[in-house]
Amino acid sequence: MNEYLWLIRRELWENRAIWIVPSAIGAVMVLAALFGHVDVTLMNAAPQQGALGGVLLFASGVVFLLVMSAYSAWYLLDCLYAERRDRSILFWKSLPISDAATVLSKLLTALLVIPLVYFAAADLTTVVIAFIVSVRARSWIGGALWNPGQWLQLQALWLYLIATMAVWFLPLAGWLLLVSAWARRAATLWSILPPLAAIWAERAFFGTDRLARVFADRLFTGYPGSALRNLQGSLFALFGLPGGAAATTPISVWRLLDPVRFMASRATWIGVAVGVALTAAAIRVRSRAVEL
Amino acid sequence: MTSIIEARDLTKRYGAQLAVDHASFTIQPGRIVGLIGPNGAGKTTVLRAVLGLAPYEGHLRVLGREPFHERAALLNEASFIADVAVLPGWLHVDQAIDFVAGVHPRFRRERARALLEKSRIAPKRRIRDLSRGMKTQVHLALTMAIDARLLVLDEPTLGLDLLARRNFYDALVTDYMDESRTILVTTHQVEEIENLLTDLLFLDQGRIVLDASLEEIASRYAAVAVGADRLPDARALGPFHERRALGRTMLYFENADRAALAECGDVSVPSVADLFVAKLAGRAA
Repeated sequence: MNEYLWLIRRELWENRAIWIVPSAIGAVMVLAALFGHVDVTLMNAAPQQGALGGVLLFASGVVFLLVMSAYSAWYLLDCLYAERRDRSILFWKSLPISDAATVLSKLLTALLVIPLVYFAAADLTTVVIAFIVSVRARSWIGGALWNPGQWLQLQALWLYLIATMAVWFLPLAGWLLLVSAWARRAATLWSILPPLAAIWAERAFFGTDRLARVFADRLFTGYPGSALRNLQGSLFALFGLPGGAAATTPISVWRLLDPVRFMASRATWIGVAVGVALTAAAIRVRSRAVEL
Repeated sequence: MTSIIEARDLTKRYGAQLAVDHASFTIQPGRIVGLIGPNGAGKTTVLRAVLGLAPYEGHLRVLGREPFHERAALLNEASFIADVAVLPGWLHVDQAIDFVAGVHPRFRRERARALLEKSRIAPKRRIRDLSRGMKTQVHLALTMAIDARLLVLDEPTLGLDLLARRNFYDALVTDYMDESRTILVTTHQVEEIENLLTDLLFLDQGRIVLDASLEEIASRYAAVAVGADRLPDARALGPFHERRALGRTMLYFENADRAALAECGDVSVPSVADLFVAKLAGRAA
């Protein structure tokens, strides 16, 4: 346990972008809130006030989420490659730390530590923005941003997303770690080409597109649908917009989360199995790896 | 059981090529062993097998453990410096100490601090901003603060100037070595560590060509400086190597009759470097 704390601390020392990037995003958003021009004359009706506040909070969260996803993927692809490139692997391997602990600490960093750092940065940002906007506007929009119920529900939503995304994207993380441990050069290319080659081969020899659909589902379309219920309607409801799934009050994020279906889904567990296998392969490759 | 390293038929293949070819040797506690060989002889491959960095064929036990599958456990009691240039550049000196202290049960932080204070390297500095000699001092301080039974050094002074090399080995002998420890070291600069070593292992093309303590070498090998007039007599005694030098010829003998040698010229114990050249000269260069 103590070993993992040190290994994760090490990742934060080496990859200072983990906290610098979200801090920078937050700073830009705060600056925009401080000096930006917000035209709110269009919105006057009460339901739309609440909606605007919620959409603002949600949209800023999405920005953090997208940058975080891209950074985590890059981090996973780089972490085991960089230590071979600069030969520091020979130093890390001179310490009594198993390859399994090293690789798992990097997996944990990408799937939990980085998302939680972004989560904290996004939280802090929205609180500061809400404060600034309410002071500047001295009107309903500031009040709308100070909606504790909605804010708390968004917290629950983000934490739920972090947990389920860690499970859903485990196979992708395992694949990136394996390529990172194995590639002797052009790790990015190696991460993309084999899946593309597999898709092409399937199409050429069997005339089908099943792999392509599996990959697309895992990467892009599959996730929200598997973990969240009636996404569009629920979000509308969350923001109190008309067209929401039976705009109930009090609106509840719990209507959106669907952990039972997520955990019962076959796709979830196939993904976990593939992710575990790929991570084990990455550990095995790393145990034989020395410098490039 | 008590030997620190025990290798029998240690073999490593890269494809069809044998990097290490059925090497057998044992290393006893309290020794400082020089693993010496020309480039490509398989020194680094042997060290990597010993440290659990790569799989191998044959029998190998280091501190009683099978290194490849028990690397993490082995490194609680063994430490190594693969090369002085492997400390990550982004690391701060004090972070390095904190990290090793955090993960290594036998690391003594005060000792690392004391060693670094002597070298006057500010703890806040990054490794990448240090000179090569300073990096070596940091790495050596980290390693010497580990209470290890076995220390493995692979070309530890490569790229260092004379003064830094001397300091490195002085620190090793005065601040680190005692009878409870064992050191296995490879280097190209044999002359510099000659008076430090207790044992020699010569490796050539993956095979052990010499495995002896320095006392054994002194009794087994002789170098004789022979004038031109006595050369035929000396050659009759069966030297395994000869080298011409300033009017005389140096002849190298193994297990030869000392009295007979003394009649041919001045007998001395060959230096490690000379012995190395003599032993390996037979093979096509």
